[in-house]
Amino acid sequence: MTAFPRLPGPAVPEGTRDVLPPEWQQREHLRGRLAAEFAAWGYRGVDVPALEFADPRHPQDARAFKLIDVGGEVLALRGEFTTAVGRLVRSRFAGGPFPLRLQYGGRLWLRALTSELGRLREFAQVGVELIGVSTPQADAELLALGRRALEVVGVAPVMEVGYPGFVDAVLEDAGLSPGAREALHGAIDRKSGADVDLLAAQHRLDAGMTRTLHTLTDLYGGPEVLAQAGDLARGGRARAAVTHLEAVADRAEGTLLFDLGASRRYGYYTGLTFRAYAPGLNQPLLGGGRYDLGGLPGAGFAIGLERLTEVAARGLPPEPEVVLALDAAGAEHARAAGLTAELAWTDDRAELLAYCAARGIRRWAQGQTLTGASA
Amino acid sequence: MSPAPVRGPEHLTLALPKGRILTEAAALLTRAGLPLELPGPSRALRHEFPGLTVLELRNQDVPVYVDLGVADFGIVGKDVLVESGRAVFEPVDLRFAACRLSLIREVGADGPIQRVATKYPRSARAYLAAQGIPAEIVKLSGNIELAALTGLADAVVDLVQTGGTLRANGLEERDVLLHSSARLVVNRTALKLRRERLRPLIERLRELVVGD
Repeated sequence: MTAFPRLPGPAVPEGTRDVLPPEWQQREHLRGRLAAEFAAWGYRGVDVPALEFADPRHPQDARAFKLIDVGGEVLALRGEFTTAVGRLVRSRFAGGPFPLRLQYGGRLWLRALTSELGRLREFAQVGVELIGVSTPQADAELLALGRRALEVVGVAPVMEVGYPGFVDAVLEDAGLSPGAREALHGAIDRKSGADVDLLAAQHRLDAGMTRTLHTLTDLYGGPEVLAQAGDLARGGRARAAVTHLEAVADRAEGTLLFDLGASRRYGYYTGLTFRAYAPGLNQPLLGGGRYDLGGLPGAGFAIGLERLTEVAARGLPPEPEVVLALDAAGAEHARAAGLTAELAWTDDRAELLAYCAARGIRRWAQGQTLTGASA
Repeated sequence: MSPAPVRGPEHLTLALPKGRILTEAAALLTRAGLPLELPGPSRALRHEFPGLTVLELRNQDVPVYVDLGVADFGIVGKDVLVESGRAVFEPVDLRFAACRLSLIREVGADGPIQRVATKYPRSARAYLAAQGIPAEIVKLSGNIELAALTGLADAVVDLVQTGGTLRANGLEERDVLLHSSARLVVNRTALKLRRERLRPLIERLRELVVGD
């Protein structure tokens, strides 16, 4: 690209960004509120390295930024937290005690731009994992905590539950070959009746089976969805999924939405999955689900901080007023009164006045008194 | 541009492509009960109706607006949808604007396919890979048939409606990549949050399409 030569001066790579005030304060405020809520529910914080060994089995391996270490090993920038926390649990908490409740937060990097992330390739998440138990109570706890966490930052979320294994179980019970199942997952997940018909014809499925597939594409909505799912569930796997969902729904506070046609997206989820939507926002704010850590059950969710900041910024308390302190006593006095005090750096009143005008500072603090900024 | 009006929580934003799909889409949606009457030729890009905003877009942009959630739902050809790679719901095949995305060569051409010209590079690449044909892809913007006639490419991947243009130019369809028609597409979150309005609309459109 020579048509647009890079301008002199600092640039940042595509999909990365500078965070400026006031967004930084808003984001950190939200991060703090969420971490405090997670902590109040018993979730203790951990940090995991941003540099990981690259591993082709990692769910984000194909999209991860890769680096070469001094010894020639390939490293990957952290692209997702659940796998990293899973590694930490297996090596540091192998003996429990379970249930183990952990929270984390930090940046992630992915090479691909995706609409899920609003085109960011460097982004921040906070999240929790509840490890070692797989009861309906555990899933209901995570749904309740996800709802509560968004409520404490002023968002009234709508929680939606899915169960990707349900579609696969229904297809398996119908005797479909793994090849046909694989192709149908995508069509059902897109809720594409036309693609279902196309694949049903290709795989010579009968009319009854094709009807079942169409029912799966429409299996979303309120609690009535669980009854419809119960009618579709023939085999043990499908019935167990519905029973588990009913048990979770019984324990959930507030209404839940369901989408049992949600069929794929994240390969590692083994059970219930869930998302949180905010009214008026056509992108989810929170996502999570149940997975398997090599024999150890786990479940958790993550919240993207960039999108949350956009949504929740309106409801945040206003920043304290900034005043210019002409002496140390004035600064101390202003700060004790809950104000933000910047220190004067010169005795030149004209320079201070010009700065106050540019910065929007209206008052000066000196000793015990606050006065309007003036010559 | 006028500021966006204040909208109720049930307000819907619809993305429609300019061109051949627009008129038919507007007629179908009107029959399905949407308060939608597009004016004649005008320069407006955004049309306001009670409870509904209509955005007039290039057809390639419809999946983008719907996936990113700026529009709650839209209508777009399956060919454009597949090419976009966007993860939107597509609950209704509206069955108009039918066409095929096909591999086309000059009549009698039998040499190896080494270069393929197309407006649909993603679909063409997936097809060629599945067929084991290691051909180069050239992205063009219009009159794709010319690429085969001038020797720019050994074959082209393009839309065929009746096949009249092909026959008039000594070209023929060699394979069909996909059968396309207009689809109702819906944002993944909007379908859930606005289901009180969208679900009945989907049901009504399905009835209308089957009844036609």
